Amino acid sequence: MRYLHMVAIAGCLSAVSAIIGCATDAEAKQGPAPTSPSINAAEEAGATKIPSASFYLGLAKEELTAAQKLAADDEKEKAVSLLLRADADAQLAAALAHEDAEKTDATETMARVKQLRQDNQMPVSDDRSNP
Amino acid sequence: MKTITYLSFALCAVLAVGCATVPKELVDARQAYDQASRGPAAKLAPEALSRAQEALTQAEASYADRPTSYHTKDLAYSAQRKAQMAEVQAGIVAARKQGKQASKEFQAAQAQIISKTKSDLDKSREENNRLLMALGKFGTVREESRGIVMTLSGSVLFAFNQSTLLPSAQTTLKQVAETILGSEGRRLLVEGHTDSIGSASYNYRLSQRRADAVRSFLISSGYPSELIEARGIGKDRPVASNANAEGRANNRRVEIIILREPGK
Repeated sequence: MRYLHMVAIAGCLSAVSAIIGCATDAEAKQGPAPTSPSINAAEEAGATKIPSASFYLGLAKEELTAAQKLAADDEKEKAVSLLLRADADAQLAAALAHEDAEKTDATETMARVKQLRQDNQMPVSDDRSNP
Repeated sequence: MKTITYLSFALCAVLAVGCATVPKELVDARQAYDQASRGPAAKLAPEALSRAQEALTQAEASYADRPTSYHTKDLAYSAQRKAQMAEVQAGIVAARKQGKQASKEFQAAQAQIISKTKSDLDKSREENNRLLMALGKFGTVREESRGIVMTLSGSVLFAFNQSTLLPSAQTTLKQVAETILGSEGRRLLVEGHTDSIGSASYNYRLSQRRADAVRSFLISSGYPSELIEARGIGKDRPVASNANAEGRANNRRVEIIILREPGK
């Protein structure tokens, strides 16, 4: 987990390097929305579909865009620093998406147990449908 | 120990910066870490909480050095998110635990159901064998997909064209009823059948009356009425040729079907 975290930060910093490197490039200013490994990871985890995660993913994207602007304005230190926020928000978004998936899985499994017990007239244990 | 170290560090930082206004990000980060460290994260996600602590320590150090800098605020912001992540991580661990527990319960319930089904099937087989043996003394008995079918000759049960049970038949039926009562709870279907002589409607009515007579007798012998159904089939389902007397005699019959229980 710690290793992944380090990899994510390294990826994020390489992303900002790329942003800073391309800051003068007109295409970088007007091209598609900027992204980073952390943002990609959050999107792959399904953060766009979960409101709480989507909120932080939105923040991460805004911060990344702002960092890109700072880099373009030659405010490289500020840009790198701002990326800390983007990375933290994106990681939180990914974690929230994972949490939602785990909770959904657990809830579904518990519902299956309950249904199985009901179908077979077995005593149903205490209701813990909200993990 | 870590908390004490952190608090000492925070105190030093406060003393070092004097009356400087603490950035909102750092206030939020401290609060978030405090909340996370008091919650389930301490137990369920200690590594994530430790990372949050490290991040907060870094933010505090930056605050001590440059209290109002954007970098201090960004570090504090990141520390706050890490504290939140520790709580989320704890939620993930808790949900996984519950999911695992639920999976175990599911497997245990499945095993229990399989074991019970096997046991029920064994009991059912034993019961069927008992019935086949016992009922075989009073008539022809066979096992079909719908259950155990006992065939009683119409001429043994009823006088020609009548639907009143003969006294001799009552003795036999009484013994049949006593045998079936041993499998209480099983549903019975009594079917009346005739030969092909006469109209379909007449034969249907006669077979229904005969099936009803047998049903009533079984009920009077103690079998629960709600578990017995009587059905007149008429001449629709012969078991032998209606071209000769022997075949017609075989077709005039009453069948008592001890229905198979669902799933057995």
